Amino acid sequence: MKRTLTLLSFGAVLAFASTQLLASGNVDAGKQKAAACFACHGTDGNGIDPQYPRLAGQYNMYLQQALHEYKSGQRTNAIMKGFVATLSEQDIEDVAAYFSSLPTKLDTLNGHIQGDKN
Amino acid sequence: MILMNRLQLLGLTVAATFLATASVHAEGDKATGRKLVYTCNGCHGVVGYENAYPQYPVPKIAGQNQQFIVNALHEYKSGERNHPTMTAQAQSLSDKDIDDIAAYLSSLAK
Repeated sequence: MKRTLTLLSFGAVLAFASTQLLASGNVDAGKQKAAACFACHGTDGNGIDPQYPRLAGQYNMYLQQALHEYKSGQRTNAIMKGFVATLSEQDIEDVAAYFSSLPTKLDTLNGHIQGDKN
Repeated sequence: MILMNRLQLLGLTVAATFLATASVHAEGDKATGRKLVYTCNGCHGVVGYENAYPQYPVPKIAGQNQQFIVNALHEYKSGERNHPTMTAQAQSLSDKDIDDIAAYLSSLAK
């Protein structure tokens, strides 16, 4: 029992550590690298037009996932395909760190469905 | 002369219909949208909820931009964008449902 618990906590620590590693981008570097994104997504990351998604305050790891999907071709968009081709893994982490750190207008649906008060 | 007037009238009617359709398409109904997003809440309503295989957080969609949501749902529906759960959900939605959902979600911008 004790050994199981020890193993479990080791596993938990490892899982936590790897998540942190994956999420480690540099916000300042990301700001520099994100210059090309501003033309559509805006300097505030909210999109210059409703056809472009707000990135500001979106989950860091979701932004990375989206960029990876564009890169692999799983997600197709002519404009994004061109941009991600120039991004390294480090660039993706930095850009995602930057946009996820911006003040957000986004939220989960928690509290926004029929029957909720607000 | 009468023929001319009829043609002009027809042209105007067609133009008006196009305009009306365009504005209806752009303006979904928020109240209906609010009811429709009940299903979305199962994943998008849980803070930090993770997609499995591959693992990543389910995106925040409340407050997302209107036309982007419309496009995303149509892309899932057509298969252009591929995610098993979202494809199934989008296929159950009419164009009107999609407009209504987008109207409601975009209205939630903080």
